[in-house]
Amino acid sequence: MTTEQFLISGWTWNPLLLVASVAALAGSRLAFRQAGRFRYFAASVGVILLALISPLHTLANGYLFSAHMAQHILLLLVAPALALLGLPASFSVSRLFRFLTYPIVGWISGVGAMWFWHVPSLCSAAAISPTMFTVQTISLLSLGSAFWWQVLAPREEHRLPPLAAIVYLFTACTACSALGIIITFAPAGVCPIFMQPVDRLGILPMLREDWGMTMPRDQQIGGLLMWVPMCLIYVTAILAQLTRWYAVPAPALAEKGR
Amino acid sequence: MNGPALTTAPGAILTAGDRAHHRIAWISTVDHKRIGILYLLTGLFFFVVGGVEALFIRLQLAVPNNTLLRPDTYNQLFTMHGTTMIFLVAMPLLFGLANYILPLQIGARDMAFPRLNAFSFWMVPLGGILLHFSMLDGGAPAVGWFAYAPLSETPYSSQPGVDYWALALLVLGIGSVGTSINIIVTVLCLRAPGMTLRRLPLYTWINFVNSFLVIIALPVLNAGLAMLLIDRRLHAHFFLPSGGGSPIMWQHIFWAFGHPEVYILALPAFGIVSEIIPVFSRKPIFGYEFVAGSTVAIAILSFGVWGHHMFTVGLGHTMDLFFAAASLLIAIPTGVKVLNWSTTLVGGRIRLSTAMLFCLAFLVHFLCGGLTGVTHAVVPLDWQTKNSYYLVAHFHFVAVGAIVFAILAGVYYWFPKISGRMLSERIGKWTFWLMVIGFNLTFIVQHFLGLAGMPRRVYTYPDLPGWGWMNMISTIGAFFMAAAALLLVWNLLVTLWRGPAAGNNPWNAWTLEWASTSPPPHENFHELPPIHSRRPLWDDANPDHPDPVVGGDEVVSPVTEKCKVGILAFIASESAFFGVLILAFLYFNATPGSGPGPKDLNLVKTGMFSLCLFASSFTLWRTEISQQRNHRRAMLGWLGATILLGGIFIVGQGLEYGGLLRGGVNISTNLFATTFFTLTGFHGLHVCLGLVALLVVLGLALAGDLDAGRSVVLEVVGLYWHFVDVVWVLVFTVVYIFPLLR
Repeated sequence: MTTEQFLISGWTWNPLLLVASVAALAGSRLAFRQAGRFRYFAASVGVILLALISPLHTLANGYLFSAHMAQHILLLLVAPALALLGLPASFSVSRLFRFLTYPIVGWISGVGAMWFWHVPSLCSAAAISPTMFTVQTISLLSLGSAFWWQVLAPREEHRLPPLAAIVYLFTACTACSALGIIITFAPAGVCPIFMQPVDRLGILPMLREDWGMTMPRDQQIGGLLMWVPMCLIYVTAILAQLTRWYAVPAPALAEKGR
Repeated sequence: MNGPALTTAPGAILTAGDRAHHRIAWISTVDHKRIGILYLLTGLFFFVVGGVEALFIRLQLAVPNNTLLRPDTYNQLFTMHGTTMIFLVAMPLLFGLANYILPLQIGARDMAFPRLNAFSFWMVPLGGILLHFSMLDGGAPAVGWFAYAPLSETPYSSQPGVDYWALALLVLGIGSVGTSINIIVTVLCLRAPGMTLRRLPLYTWINFVNSFLVIIALPVLNAGLAMLLIDRRLHAHFFLPSGGGSPIMWQHIFWAFGHPEVYILALPAFGIVSEIIPVFSRKPIFGYEFVAGSTVAIAILSFGVWGHHMFTVGLGHTMDLFFAAASLLIAIPTGVKVLNWSTTLVGGRIRLSTAMLFCLAFLVHFLCGGLTGVTHAVVPLDWQTKNSYYLVAHFHFVAVGAIVFAILAGVYYWFPKISGRMLSERIGKWTFWLMVIGFNLTFIVQHFLGLAGMPRRVYTYPDLPGWGWMNMISTIGAFFMAAAALLLVWNLLVTLWRGPAAGNNPWNAWTLEWASTSPPPHENFHELPPIHSRRPLWDDANPDHPDPVVGGDEVVSPVTEKCKVGILAFIASESAFFGVLILAFLYFNATPGSGPGPKDLNLVKTGMFSLCLFASSFTLWRTEISQQRNHRRAMLGWLGATILLGGIFIVGQGLEYGGLLRGGVNISTNLFATTFFTLTGFHGLHVCLGLVALLVVLGLALAGDLDAGRSVVLEVVGLYWHFVDVVWVLVFTVVYIFPLLR
């Protein structure tokens, strides 16, 4: 199979997901008509679809560790952040989930999701078992939302003060970079399933030879994705916090005792 | 106690109060201003030393096939020049200026921890002496300031020079971390009423951000140095390929420190320039927020780009690609800063004082050095030029053309405040032009030498077309710079002897240090002007059109617990140290080797002792609760239990070590033993230190001192103890539990 053929045929047309996406888009359009920032929400749905139906998903599904990592980052960091940005400013969580709004819970959710799903056996299981993969996807999206809540909650009073948010983001960045560094330098096989992919679609020769994605290189790219570009997401968020800090008018800051 | 006496006699070296004990007045000082001056003088002294070394290097390279210096002598001078200029010149000078100016700029009386400040300073002479003592003991190190393994290992450098080098850098690193913790706490806790974080002068803000860089980057080097010393003295195997170790690992550790180090030196220089350019353009800085924000971006990005120092090592295309992209990114925030400075100049009433001239030259040199820096982010170009004189030219454009020029600008700008006397502008301009001409003569040709193929780190070169005369020009330029340095010293001495009095604010500047007398009294300020914006002295002088108020006023800083902030900063620093040791353990034990391994450890036994350590965190928490409730007996009981549990853990570790050593397993046995003993040993050392601290607390408690408003001691030691326990959770997981999962 050539690259072009793969890019055309590699889509996973998951009907449930497509219906859910359309419903979510329509629902948010109707429910948050006035206050919502619909474009962000739509972008979030777009990112989720990119991660779950595009050829990226096919590759992540047992073929390439690096594709798995890209998917992981999109679901944990990008999609939830965009979704939170897309919520109307009046949105707040019900009392039932209040415990999720403690900073330490958010931090552990964000960083823990990264570390937990890269325990070798879990990583392998999620890459081949559809059930595990569903669990993983839902957990990534929800843990990512809990992480970003501290920074991007729709209401100002739910967010951390800017300087505290910078510490929150920087420490999370360090914790994830450490894992990225470990994966980059570890001998191949952090996620054992990718050592010997089952070639269901006959694309393995294309990946290994045309794309040059040998197994050690594949893992190295995965580790580096987590180490460098993922850190840049945090850096972007930190810069946004600085902007917020310098922009907030005096009274709002005075209320927060800063 | 002696403020007014100083104000009447500018530049007095000893105040009336000092005369009684004049012999030790400057040695025993804990005043941030004197410590700042001591830093500056030490830096200046080593600047002369490092400069003379540079002159010898240039003399040797002036003509082809020169025999002035023997190869080994050349390598020693070359190593000492690099090490001296980075650690004994640039760092002390920048820390000295920050020490003197930063508390004044925020209206503080002193640094947060004056004695820690003195300790940090005295580490510099100690480090300097250690480094140079090597000359008396078999010769200076000859391995470059980067000390690449395996050259720096015993089989290839058997003289103790490298040991002195590593010890000196360890000592200097500890001092740097101390100063930086001090700066962080000073800025967070000691700001004057109204001086909110959003109103900080850029110099202070940048030093504040930079301090975080120092406390995280220096421990990385310290961990590497500890490993190198363990390799050299205890025959361990971290960086020696013969024992399974990895020389590349040394490069990773060194540059994980080394690249942030570039910014540790550059950021304060940016800060100096950001103060001076607005003052001599008679305009506020253009885009304060962008200068402040880009500083944070640079600081964080600087941790993720060290790979570009290692493109020529052969990391593979994948790594090269990611690091090239990240390295190119860092050009954005630095470019933003250059735009800010340039735009501040536009439309300003520019006054070309010596300080301003140095800043303008800084701008040009930094632009050139930055652009050649971008070429090094492009991997194929880097392969061609990395080991040539093109790279030497690049980093000297940044380190000398930008950083040293900014320091000189800072010296000319702040000397009137420090001494109370004005430096001669006439000699200053001579200094400036000699320096600019000398610098550019020396280093512009080196770009072409590099492109013509002259390799760096060589003691001589063949007589190839063009190489001879270009090197001669470079050497001549170096002597121009030496002349400039002499003029600078002359200017400083003459001014101290009979310079005109400066007055409080000779430059009509706007930040708080200029509100005090020159030099400032012991307590810095008798009274402060009101602070509502970033330029309080402008508002004071122009009540009709003051700067817009920035943010809300705060009466006192929201962060007041300076001991707690200090220990948290220290814990951050320690985390970086242990982070490197843990990563090294994981890296070296990723695949099981032959010989002793994790299977020789007794999980159950160590697990029991670990439980004791974890339990001690609980008892310490109960101690704090009892203290808050004023239950003295319960408090003493829980504290005693904590010490006992910690002691049991240490005994347990001792038993484990004893068993291993009796079984013939020691640190030099194999790579596992090396990493195991290093990681657990450093943790054990920290537990012991924690126990000493707890015993001190116990002593205080028995003496009844804890009740007298000193319970913060317990809290601070408690935080440290909990940290040590958390580290053990990680170490235990990595060393004892991970191997079981394999």
